[in-house]
Amino acid sequence: MALVDLIRPEVVKVPLVSTTKSEVIRELVECLRDAGKISDVEAVYDALMKRESMGSTGLEQGIAVPHAKTQAVNSLTVALGLSPKGIDFQAIDGNPSKLFFLLLAPPDQSGPHIEALADIARITKSQAFCRTLIGSTSPAGVVELFSED
Amino acid sequence: MNGPIKKILVYVDGTEGSITAAQYAVVLSRTLRAELSALYVVNTRALEDLLKARIFIKAEEEEYKRDLEADANRYLNHVQSLARKKGVAIEAVSVSGAVNQEIKKYVRGSDIDLLIIGELSHVRSRRDEFYNEAERAMRSVSCSVLIVKDEDRVWELYDALT
Repeated sequence: MALVDLIRPEVVKVPLVSTTKSEVIRELVECLRDAGKISDVEAVYDALMKRESMGSTGLEQGIAVPHAKTQAVNSLTVALGLSPKGIDFQAIDGNPSKLFFLLLAPPDQSGPHIEALADIARITKSQAFCRTLIGSTSPAGVVELFSED
Repeated sequence: MNGPIKKILVYVDGTEGSITAAQYAVVLSRTLRAELSALYVVNTRALEDLLKARIFIKAEEEEYKRDLEADANRYLNHVQSLARKKGVAIEAVSVSGAVNQEIKKYVRGSDIDLLIIGELSHVRSRRDEFYNEAERAMRSVSCSVLIVKDEDRVWELYDALT
């Protein structure tokens, strides 16, 4: 299952309502719960925050990629959130983060996990694509950007 | 061994699709009396890219590399077990590097006639960034490629082998 197969409207949050780093992570995790992808919100939240404590996943150009291994999922699980106003995610360039790719994978599926993260690294090299994504106003619009039609 | 297919390679990446592909490869190998190999690539290229992109920190790169190596052992052992149960000999190989390049190298170096891979993405995208590694390999290898679908049917075929 490729990354693009996992980006469905029910796991896309547009716009995010959170204003802080911990809030946005929780908001995306709750989005996954509401979509039926996870049941243990706290375990997932803790795994993501533990990873953040080792170093922020806020990158340059307004992109953040919070990710964690967790037993709380059976397969690669993705959520995507957009915050047009931006959130202080302690990004490496000091700028607010607007585009959030949240990735979870079980500990025994490192291959797909790494491949999905590498896909995100490739996607986010295109500033034009990221700008278009951040300008999306609906989950369906976001999903459409990832597919052919 | 007669017929056009003498050497089969199945690419295993730990996904359900690749395990289904391995079952189908066992079926084909038995039926065609072709030699069978299974390849797992520890994707060190992706790990380097993630470190450069600063998505990974150094400790993560090392941790995930260990995980991938453990995954390689686990999934190749499983594929070997699938083959053994049906009396099929299989060579299980783990290499490190960029996935599509290592697949191409193995296909060329071992004169593989047929590469078998699991089901690809259901979503067609204009963007090349979304092609996964197996898809890239499919487009660039020198041999024919078979994409395995219909997990239920493959199970039936595999179970039916005596």
